[in-house]
Amino acid sequence: MTSTTETRHNPAKDGELALEARDLGFQWAATQPMLRFPDLTIPCGEHLFLQGASGSGKSTLLSLLSGMQAPHSGSVRIFGSELQRLGSGARDRFRADHIGVIFQQFNLVPYLSALANVTLPCRLSRVRLEQTRPDPDSAAKELLGLLAIPENHWHRNVTRLSIGQQQRIAAARALIGSPGIILADEPTSALDADNRDRFLDLLLGLADKRGASVIFVSHDRSLSRHFQHLIHLGAES
Amino acid sequence: MKTRLAFSLALASLWHRRRVLTLVCLTLTLSVSLLLGIQYLRTEVRQSFTSTISGTDLIVGARSGQLNLLLYTVFHIGDATNNIRWSTFQRLQEDQRIDWLIPISLGDSYRGYRVVATDSNFPEHFRYGQEQPVNLAEGEWFSDVFHVVLGAGVARELGHQPGEEVILSHGGGRTSFSNHEDTPFRITGILEATGTPVDQAVYISLEGMEAMHVGWESGVAIPGRTLTPEKTRGMTFTPDAITAAYVGLKSPVLTFQLQRALNQSAEEPLSAILPGVALSELWRLMGQFEKALLGITGFVVITSLVGLVAVLLTLQAQRAHEIAVLRATGASTGLVASLHVIECVALALVSCLLALAVGAGLLTGVAPWLLDNYGINLTLRPLNPTEWALLATVPAAAALVGLLPAFATWRRTRTQGLGEIGE
Repeated sequence: MTSTTETRHNPAKDGELALEARDLGFQWAATQPMLRFPDLTIPCGEHLFLQGASGSGKSTLLSLLSGMQAPHSGSVRIFGSELQRLGSGARDRFRADHIGVIFQQFNLVPYLSALANVTLPCRLSRVRLEQTRPDPDSAAKELLGLLAIPENHWHRNVTRLSIGQQQRIAAARALIGSPGIILADEPTSALDADNRDRFLDLLLGLADKRGASVIFVSHDRSLSRHFQHLIHLGAES
Repeated sequence: MKTRLAFSLALASLWHRRRVLTLVCLTLTLSVSLLLGIQYLRTEVRQSFTSTISGTDLIVGARSGQLNLLLYTVFHIGDATNNIRWSTFQRLQEDQRIDWLIPISLGDSYRGYRVVATDSNFPEHFRYGQEQPVNLAEGEWFSDVFHVVLGAGVARELGHQPGEEVILSHGGGRTSFSNHEDTPFRITGILEATGTPVDQAVYISLEGMEAMHVGWESGVAIPGRTLTPEKTRGMTFTPDAITAAYVGLKSPVLTFQLQRALNQSAEEPLSAILPGVALSELWRLMGQFEKALLGITGFVVITSLVGLVAVLLTLQAQRAHEIAVLRATGASTGLVASLHVIECVALALVSCLLALAVGAGLLTGVAPWLLDNYGINLTLRPLNPTEWALLATVPAAAALVGLLPAFATWRRTRTQGLGEIGE
């Protein structure tokens, strides 16, 4: 596996690191080759663009960074905590407290309203609840307003909303309670060009205001201009 | 774990899938209704069966098995092996240990219903259920040789009123060709419904039984030798023999002593039985059937629960996305798995509540009809502890079967990466 790293801004800030990954390696099965990932160093509040073709291990890397899966080698540190040292229950709590996630599609729990989907992290994490001002419902309404979801959609069945609206609701859920890191796995691939740029602007703008680092995975290199860091994951040779 | 969140998610999820789950819930409701209904009826029927006769300490008849004696005296099923002599009955009447005696003489019938010849001790001392006496619904107890009192079931079925005259038949059977044409009996009273075999018999005096059999010594009426009601005026009739007697003792302590004495009687071969013991034995024989019925119903409930799990496992495929979202948002594998158990138990609880409502509604609707048409007295009562326990096994079993999809989800989500939905 090959990889290239470009750093456009000087990462040597005084602030602590949001995310640090070293020597990550992962193997799906003993008979399969080990996937090796480049080292990552993301200071707080800075954004990373992870670019790679299908099969380059982007999703696997996100699984490792979110603590959903444990690497076979190397380590992931988020805000100084080493994920591998935590048990699986503690990793779930850590993810609830510090990480917001946006998927490519099917981002919402179908039986919850838009508003309930957005406030879900506050019900799973005390930290996120305490960081939500003044209360989860008001904060969720503010975010939905900023993300241009019409008020009459807030209590509606989410499965009836358009893909673009669903993705923006997912962004609101990832942002609520100001987690330090937002993992976004191809969140714009189901959107048209206009929606894609609007989505990215809104997401990065709101993340900047909250000092959150966005780790954005996409195969579309044209989006990388919005990010301070770019990592290219090469396809398997 | 986030218990409140788990409950609110599970309930929201059930509501979201209500269209599919309504059918499952309905199946479960019907099977739980069946289970509860059968257990309820079992208790009621047993209660009413074992209190077919109460207050009677011993039943005395010719020597035979206790079930046979019980069947022909109390249930009017089958025939007596032999009679007991009138002199033996008179000796019993003089026994200091005995408080009262109800003589019973069987053998004839009225349109398929047994004719029971007895005396005024029957309304005075016979008790059923919780020591309830047999009361008259209309008219009065017989006071003349050719008077007859009808059980509630007989009067209802044949539509008789007091004052009408009826012809009794010789021997048993629904259609008898030898009738006591010369000695019509006048209906003086109709008994209240008791829900016991008392309803299915007609009652005449011992004298009436004797009078209508004058001239029938050879088994058929000999013309000119039979009596007419006019001829009997001023005559007295003493039976030679009776079929059996119900015995009430002065002190229940004497029951076994007297039973032994009667069973060993040298003058005449007699059998004395304790009706309660005989009824229990009879119930044990029939109880096998109702136990089997309850067992079958239990399997019906299990089948419904298996159906419920099958539906939940099928729904699991649709739930892969939402589980991925919950996991990514920080829900633990335990929380995601617990949703299945909570949903199973919630469905079972809803089914149990519906089953209670169905049962109560059905019982209130059907009870008057059952009493009118079959003389079965069913009342709505609070469930007894056994029935509550039986009902509680349903959500408990649901929790157990809910562990299946819960475990499957737990095992899968434990190794799934971020956003992964497949196996």
